[in-house]
Amino acid sequence: MNKNNLKGFEFFRGLVAILIAIAVAFIFIFICADDPAQALSCLLIKPIISNGALNVKSILTILGRTTPTIFTGLAVCVMFSADQFNLGGEGVTMLGGFIAVLLGIYLPMAAGVHAAVAIIISAIAGGAVMLIPALVKVKLKSSEMVTSLMLNYIILYVVLHFLNNTFADRTKGSTQTYEFLETAKVGTVVQGTELTYGFFIALIATVIIAIFMYRTRWGYAIRMIGINGQFAQYSGLKVGAIIIASQIIGGVLSGMGGAIECLGRYTTFRWLELPGYGWTGVTVAILAKNNPIFVPLAALFIAYLNRGCELMAIYAGVPAEMLDIIQAIIFLFFAAEQFLSKTRQKLVVKEAKQEISAKADVKGENA
Amino acid sequence: MLNQLTSMIFTTSFGYSVIRITAPILFAALASVVAEKAGVVNIGLEGIMMFSSLFGVLFAYWTNSWLVGVIGALVIGAIFGLIIGVFALKLKTNIVLAGTAINIAGSGGTIFLLYMFTGLRGNTANLTTPQMLIPRINIPLIKSIPVIGPIFSGHSVLTYIAFILVAVVWVLLYKTPLGLRIRAVGENPNAADSVGVSVLKTQYIAIMLSGALAGLGGAFMSMYYSQSWNTGITAGRGFIAMAAQAMGQCEPVGTMLSSLLFGFASALGNKMEGLPGFSSYLVASIPYIVTVVGLAIYAVTQLKKARKRG
Repeated sequence: MNKNNLKGFEFFRGLVAILIAIAVAFIFIFICADDPAQALSCLLIKPIISNGALNVKSILTILGRTTPTIFTGLAVCVMFSADQFNLGGEGVTMLGGFIAVLLGIYLPMAAGVHAAVAIIISAIAGGAVMLIPALVKVKLKSSEMVTSLMLNYIILYVVLHFLNNTFADRTKGSTQTYEFLETAKVGTVVQGTELTYGFFIALIATVIIAIFMYRTRWGYAIRMIGINGQFAQYSGLKVGAIIIASQIIGGVLSGMGGAIECLGRYTTFRWLELPGYGWTGVTVAILAKNNPIFVPLAALFIAYLNRGCELMAIYAGVPAEMLDIIQAIIFLFFAAEQFLSKTRQKLVVKEAKQEISAKADVKGENA
Repeated sequence: MLNQLTSMIFTTSFGYSVIRITAPILFAALASVVAEKAGVVNIGLEGIMMFSSLFGVLFAYWTNSWLVGVIGALVIGAIFGLIIGVFALKLKTNIVLAGTAINIAGSGGTIFLLYMFTGLRGNTANLTTPQMLIPRINIPLIKSIPVIGPIFSGHSVLTYIAFILVAVVWVLLYKTPLGLRIRAVGENPNAADSVGVSVLKTQYIAIMLSGALAGLGGAFMSMYYSQSWNTGITAGRGFIAMAAQAMGQCEPVGTMLSSLLFGFASALGNKMEGLPGFSSYLVASIPYIVTVVGLAIYAVTQLKKARKRG
């Protein structure tokens, strides 16, 4: 198949995957909502339009909610591109947020500089943590997947330990730290929405990662390893070093995402369980087909559904957790290489036949 | 403090709780062994356990019978195994991603399904009746032996099944034609294929068996361990199980031993909660740290062996 047709087919396939997921959502809604029409409008329309007008606040909130998942999505893109199933984004995001808030509380600095320093140190910490699964994989050939999964829980419990036993603000009802200084805050763009300047940092990060992956030697090397690791090795690439670099980049991005999220949306650190952005990041990367430039779009799609499910829970009594099922279905079909392979086969055959007949025509004319 | 600790460990109730805590990990770890042996990585254990623990309770509630609940959980587990199988083997979704999708669906989807079926939010404590819980059994003879009795007797039916399954899985893998096929497919699919073993069929069977085993682990959690289903009930046990499998070198007995190690660390953590000077959170992280270190040590020994051979 030529390149354009292939792209068209990929697009068509993604659309079918989304339609299947939405069809399943419809079925669920009809079973469990008292007023299915109301629930559907909450899910699909209300996030952007309410009372017949564009709901700007809601739209900006949706944009704001893409921030952490853009970061984890980019992280997964880079790590998976090197064929490393590193699932530690979840824990590293939490760690990044925790470190950033602590720096925000205990390390006073000038406004602006403060937030930047907190974010950068969190990012470095994130990269350092991701060194563990990377080194274990490269040096010992031990599964990065299992190590990174364990790492999530180690981080969770270590953070909870310090949160509860060292840094907790006992005057508050729930477990959380003291409020971080105003200087460390990542500012909100429009008051009353969840859109912070972090969103723009996420977009900049997207551009940088996209350029890195598709316009630099290192990015090319990472993708080559993903496509064929042995070939990359035989052709003289330093596979180990490149794999390690890709995992560090993933850690830096995840740590940054956690830091920006905590400094932007909250005033204290209050995550008592893993935040879930790491897993959403995997979904986002799958939707974006591991291409960084599509990550914000994929994150936007998930954030839209997220907001829709939230509204559906408020106004139609359908639990917002339906999102997880929809997300999993889209995820499964998107990642399925052979999904609709028969249709694809037909397209290829049709095209080949056309080509043959076209050639035959040319020959006929020549004769 | 150390005295306090040793006096805590050397009690029969501690031994009892180690076995109790190990059982669900063991179910899932055996599930991981069966899949891994056939060359399919089942990372969806966590999600499968979430679904089956929920449906175990629901089936038991609808029929007022724990046995139906357990069987239901087993079937649901196998079905989710099949779903992973279809996507991974037929539609060529990367199997790690297929499992991850099941985990994502399991974490929140179960809350949604619970609401859809019962209107309840977050837990099933209101549904629980004594008939729905897996009964405990006292083993005659062993029951009356001092020390041994209180540790090994009085567990639930499913706890014993978990440990019996270690032997069953071993026999299955090493003494049956199916087991031979599973191992052959896992070790070298092309070779297996060339002698007429259907690779796909064997992998489907393995992943469904794996799902069914994880399903039992789910039933254990909601119908015995917590006595009801709640959000986050499996709490990462599916992932610990993968680690136990890896540390146990993918052998049933080794996997049982590493599962016991996790059970021991967890039980210790539970006991130490509330003790001054100990952080229950840090103790809770021990099994995971042990896994990372254990895997690394195992990897080093393997590398050394390989070097000697090479």
